[in-house]
Parts: sequence; structure tokens; C-alpha cells
Amino acid sequence: MEFGPAVNTIATWISGPDPSWWAVGIGLVAVWVIPVLAIVFPVAAVGQIIERKVAAAMQRRHGPNTVGMDGILRLVVRLAFFFLPRAAQDRIQARITALPGVGWTLGLLQRSGLGQLAADGVKMIGKEDIVPAGTDGLVFRAAPYLALVGAFLPFAAIPFAQNLVALEVPVGALYVVAASGFTVVGLLMAGWGSGNKFSLLGGMRAVAQVVSYEIPVGLAIAGVVLWCGTMDLHQIVAHQYNGQWYSFLGWNIFQSPFLALLACLLFFAGLAECQRTPFDMAEAESELVSGFNTEYSGLRWGMFAMAEYSEMILVGALVSTLFLGGYQSPIGEPWIMSLPGWLETIIHAGILLVKFTLGVVLMVWIRWTLPRFRVDQVMRLCWLTLVPLCLLSLFGLALTMLLGGLAGGVHTGPAYGRIPGMQHINLDALGWLVTWVVPVGFAAVLVAVARRRHGQMHPALKQLTGGA
Amino acid sequence: MSTDVTVETLGGERMKLNMGPHHPATHGVLRLMVETDGEIVAKAVPDHGFLHRSIEKIGECVEWPMFVPYTDRIDYVCAMNANLAYCVAVEKLLNTDPATAVQVPLRAECIRIIVAELNRISSHLVAVGAMSMDLGAYTPFLHGIAQRETVNDIFEKLCGQRLTYNFVTIGGVAFDLHKGAEAEITAFLDAFEKEMIRFNKLITANTIFRDRCAGVAAISAADAVAYGLVGPNLRGSGVDWDIRRDEPYGIYDRLAVRVPVGQGFAGRNGRVGDCYDRFVVRLLEINESVRLVREALKMLPAPVEKKTDATGGYQADVAKQLRKPPKGEVRVRTEAPRGEMGYVIVSDGSKTPYRVRCRTGSFTACSIFQKLMRGIFMADIVTVIGSFDIVVPEIDR
Repeated sequence: MEFGPAVNTIATWISGPDPSWWAVGIGLVAVWVIPVLAIVFPVAAVGQIIERKVAAAMQRRHGPNTVGMDGILRLVVRLAFFFLPRAAQDRIQARITALPGVGWTLGLLQRSGLGQLAADGVKMIGKEDIVPAGTDGLVFRAAPYLALVGAFLPFAAIPFAQNLVALEVPVGALYVVAASGFTVVGLLMAGWGSGNKFSLLGGMRAVAQVVSYEIPVGLAIAGVVLWCGTMDLHQIVAHQYNGQWYSFLGWNIFQSPFLALLACLLFFAGLAECQRTPFDMAEAESELVSGFNTEYSGLRWGMFAMAEYSEMILVGALVSTLFLGGYQSPIGEPWIMSLPGWLETIIHAGILLVKFTLGVVLMVWIRWTLPRFRVDQVMRLCWLTLVPLCLLSLFGLALTMLLGGLAGGVHTGPAYGRIPGMQHINLDALGWLVTWVVPVGFAAVLVAVARRRHGQMHPALKQLTGGA
Repeated sequence: MSTDVTVETLGGERMKLNMGPHHPATHGVLRLMVETDGEIVAKAVPDHGFLHRSIEKIGECVEWPMFVPYTDRIDYVCAMNANLAYCVAVEKLLNTDPATAVQVPLRAECIRIIVAELNRISSHLVAVGAMSMDLGAYTPFLHGIAQRETVNDIFEKLCGQRLTYNFVTIGGVAFDLHKGAEAEITAFLDAFEKEMIRFNKLITANTIFRDRCAGVAAISAADAVAYGLVGPNLRGSGVDWDIRRDEPYGIYDRLAVRVPVGQGFAGRNGRVGDCYDRFVVRLLEINESVRLVREALKMLPAPVEKKTDATGGYQADVAKQLRKPPKGEVRVRTEAPRGEMGYVIVSDGSKTPYRVRCRTGSFTACSIFQKLMRGIFMADIVTVIGSFDIVVPEIDR
């Protein structure tokens, strides 16, 4: 197993040029933990505020805008001036708030809801950790940890920057899928250990759903692997660079309609993997009363929440890495590569952060728009729609690559001598025809036929939705 | 209601599950005793009585007009309609004897139509919003509630209350329309119609929502009649029956009510009388109510000083008649949002009723639950409950 250069650097720094296994271990944990703690964890925490703010905007209300900053300021003052009497502390606080700009800033932070984040965190830690009678003690207590581990482990192989990747395994794509499978064990344990029938149903639903949806996830990743000729996530990212200032055109999603379709399929299957609406069968507030986490309180519940948001981030990061150029900027790389290493790392990680945050916002948007599927519909969607579409895309992708090869290198896929890296793809007229026009046109005809056959709306519904 | 789920009848691998009385999808304190085989429901028995407040018995103890506030509590989601049903019944009782006959002023009748139809709109908004929330879509619910709040604002200006109005009284209404009410209501209706198109695009036309409801718990017209379903639940099954048109009370006979019925709106997978039909019938009724309010506003006579005036007044003087009403028994049916709200009133000629019996739509809707909730998915239970628009105080009273 290979480790990233950063791991080796740290290990060498700790125990000399031929690092011992424990030094490598320390380096590995450091490089894994740093991006997780510095990027994923905060975004997962802010995710809840994003969720509530987006939901509020969609529902024409304010969202969290009251609790927070005042209390935090009060806490700081109390801690800093603990030796003074209460009244003096209050006066200091009033003076601080009255300083020019401070009150305004606090007000802005308050309206942004960020204070709510800290307040919620403190509340969650302070709450009683209830283990109800009738639970399977150890299973109940251990479940949140497993869910959290399953949510954080995959980030070890996601490249956040040139050097910021803990595990540079040649089978990174496979590792991500395998490691994220851990979560479902946590959900099942929570469902079983709670000793609650609703939770049990939720846990069972979670298992059935997550295990099923790993098939389309795997197939979608297989498409990228086929295209790029490698399972190493770092090389997949490098493969998407075309060396031009308009480097976004080199991203996998713009290479073939089949890859674009696979990107969508991966996103939706990922949505199902992290149990979000419309796939929130396992939680199903109005049916199962939160399902597997009904009986959890305090920090254990918080761990499930963190796991959920981390998984959303993982899906966003995976789609970005596989289809949207990973940590690369859309406007070429030279301006970043000319910077010092630490700055390069920060900018690259920031670019990936922006990309997966957009994915998270999209998931939130979907959640507050759509109703929930039913259990059988979720399964039908997976096995009768997503899996066949994935297989179709894989077939189309293979066919494109084959035809491209026959037509004389329309596509510069790895099978035709393309080393992962810096080549610009030039499509001639035939290439455009084969790659885009034919498949998209064919799909458009299919969709039109399907709409004509099945999309007939009842006249009363047309009237209700305003004619059209 | 008797319950026949016991340990002995539980066979094999079935799981017994209590949904409610504090389950988020049972709309209050309804309890369903569910037996499931995995995700499939083998049996579901409703259990009511958690909210019984002896309202009918109270009716025998208070004077005629004093019962009106209690009718608010029978169905607080559409209190105007609940007021109206009782008041129409008492007026019918008074009219059985020419000596005590009461003539409700035309303006009062128009105001009654306006408030009743506005309240039907706001009640149906709760129904469709709560059903979409049961199916996992939270946003449409809040958009519906925002519109209901506007109706409540109008009612608050009208009578000072937002939920239990006590507005319709025997012989008329408690207050005249406030200044500028007509313009306010018209402005609301104009904005509301646009808003409902957005609402329908968001949830009604949504494919996931339609597929969730299509073909679920379809009730044939014969079954709907046999089980005594009323209102939108009956019309959802394609039975063309509406009290406002077929046995009109008040001035509904002058308004030409159009009655929407279920036609299998969901299309390919839908069947007449499924959950989607009941949902869409309510939305069509909302549009019809908007039209009725506009009609009633057009018919509204100008106000006059004298409040008992037969045209421009708003409250006939009934105090004397109510102290000594005629003896006898009357039955009245009215069309409330949850279906027929019927009153049987027995009078022994004294100033308190001898018996007040109320018949409401949600109670009979519960009777068909056991038949419907067999062989459906767990998730469909909430769809079915939502589609029947159950309001628990109306079941228990």
C-alpha cells in the first residue's frame, strides 16, 4: 500500500529517512485527520445551518436568526472576567456591544444563524445521554461511532490537493465505496439496539436501501474507471486536466453524454446512500418517527447527524473528484502551481470545498422540494431504472471509446496511448457526431416518445397548474 | 370502538405496532393498532376516544345560543362551518312554528356564505398541506399555512378570533363586515389563485407525489356510500353529491354550486376513488369556493343602520323566540369541509335543548380504515389518513 507524499514527509520528519511503521501510522492519521477536521467536520456542522437557512428561504421564513451571538459574548465575558461581580460583567458586556461595529457584526452573525450552530453544539453536549430500558446496551451505544467511522473513513482516499491525501492506494475508488459501506452497520445496530419497533423498521429499511444503491454507485464509478483507465483517485483527477485555461472542458462530465449521465446517476444513488429525501425511508419522520435514531439523544444523536452531513459531503466530493475535475480549478492550473506549496494546498482544498458544498446545497434544495418515495418504489427505482441506466451508460461509453479508436483517435482515452495527464482533446466533426449528437439525439427521441405515451395530464390537473 | 387485536389473534411472525396516539401522522390523538408483516400491513384498527369532551351532553345543559361556542370546538379547523350548521338547525326549528319564525337578513346570509367558503378554503389548505407533509414534502405545507394565516387575519378583523370564531349566530352573524373587508377579501382571492397554481406545480403535479397516491386505497362508489363517507371523501370516489347543491341551505340555492368529483386524476396508475382523487377533489373545491366567495360578494346588499333589517341588516332578533322555542325535532344537513355536518335537535319547548346530536364526517371516515388498511404498505397508512383529512376532535366530540 502506498501513502501520499505528505504522509512520507511527516514519517521521515519523525523517525528519519527509513521511517518505522508507527511513524508512518502517525503521518497517515495526521494527513487523514487534518482535512477531515479542518474541512469536512466544519462543513458538516455548518451543513445544518445551510439546511435550515435554505429551507427557510424556500418556505419564505427567516430560519435561525435569534439565538446565539449574545449568549456567546456573554459566555466569553463571564469566563474572561470571572473575578468581577455579575453586575460589572454585565456592564463590560454592554460596553463591548456598544463599540462601533461590534453590535452590527454581532447582529449580522445572529441573523446569519451561525450563533445557533454554537448554541446547538453546546446544547447537544450538555444533554443527557439517555439509554432507554429495553435497549441492547452495547449495540445501542456503539452504533453512532460506527456510523461516524463509516462516514469519515472514505475521506482518507479523497485527494483534497496535490499533497493532501492520506491513502494514495491504487484502488482508491474501490476503497471509498467499501469504507462508506461501514455506515450501514451502524444504522442497523441503531435500529436493532434501540428496542423500538419503529427503529427496527427504520434500520431494516436503511440496510435494504443502502446495500441496493451500492450497485449503481459502483457501476457509475466503474464508468469513470473505464474511461480513465485507473482506479487511483489522484490519477483520475490528473486525467481530467486538458492543459488549457478553459480547463473545465477537460472534466469527465463534459467528455461524453454517458459520463454526464453517470455523474447524475452517481449523485442520485449517493443521495439514496445518505438517506436524504426523497430517499429518507429509514428516517421517515411522518411514518417511522425518525426511524433508527428515535431513541437517541444528546451527543449520540449528534453523531448520527454529523454522519449524515459527512456522507452528503462525501457524495459531493466523490462526484467532484470523479466528474468535475476534483480539486482543480476550472480556469487552468498554472496560476495555482506557481504559488508556494502551502498556498497551493489551501487553494486546491478550497476549490474542492466549494464544489462539494454546491453539491450539498443541491441536496438540501432537493430535500425541501420533493416528497418521499415509498419502500417498494425506492427498490424499483434502483433495480429497474438506475442499474439498467448505468449498464446502458457503461455500454455506450465502451462503444464510444471503441468507435473513437476506429475513427482514428477521436478520443484520447488511455487505451489509445493517453497517459493520465496533460493532453487536450480535439474533437473533429465526426468526433462530435459520434460522441454527442447521436447519443443525445437518440435520448431526446426516447424521452419525447415516453412523454407522449405516459405524460398525459388530466385536464383538471392542467387547470390546477395554470393551464399550460 | 371495540378492538379485536389480542395476543391470541396474533399469529406467526406478525408485529404489533401502536401508531399513536402521539404519532406525527395521525393528526392529533388518533390511535391505530397496526399488525404488520414486515412492511405490509396485515390489519389496522382505529381506536378513538382520547379527545372526548361530552360536547353533546353539554348541549343539553346550556341555553340555545350558548351552545354556539361549543360547536367551534367540534371542528376547530373550520369553526365557521361548524357554527353555521348548528345555527341553521336552530333556525329551522324556530321556523316550524310561524309564531317564532325567524328571517335571517340577506346581508347576513351573504356574509355567512363568504366566511363559510373562506373557512372551507383554509380548512382544505390544512388538509392538502398536511397530507403532503405526511408524504415527506414539508415546503408545500408551510406555503398552504401561509395562505391560511391570511384568511385568519381577515377573520380576526371580522370577529377578533383566529381559530374558534363564534361568529355565526342564530338569526345572522355576530358582527357586520368591517370597513374595507370586501376589498381585503378580493385582494386575498386574487393573490391566492396565483399562489395555488404555484402550490399545485410544487406538489400536485409532482410525479413522486402522484405515484405515492395513485391507486392507493381506492374506494368504489358503492363502498363509499355503504360506509357512509361524506364530503370530499365521497366525491373522490366519483359520487356526485353535495349538500350545498342537492339540499341547499341558506342562499346556496341561488349560487349554482359546481361539484367536482373524482375521475382517476392520477392517470395511468390511478383509479377512481384513490388517495390522489380525494386530494385533487379538495383542490378543485378550493377553486370552486373562491368562485362562490366572489359571487357572494357580488350579491352582498349595502349595509343599513338597523341591524335587524331584512336586507341590509346582519342579525335578526331572536332573543324572545329562543326563550320559548317550539317543541319538536329537526334534522339539518350542511356541507362542511370534512363532509356533511348534520344536526338532530330535539326541543321540549324550554330554553335549553332536550338533545343535540351532531354527525360529523371524520367519524364515518374512520369506519372504512379497517377495510382499506389491509395489504398496503406501512407508508400508505399515513397516505390514507392524510387523504381522509381526519380532524380528531370531530371524531370524538
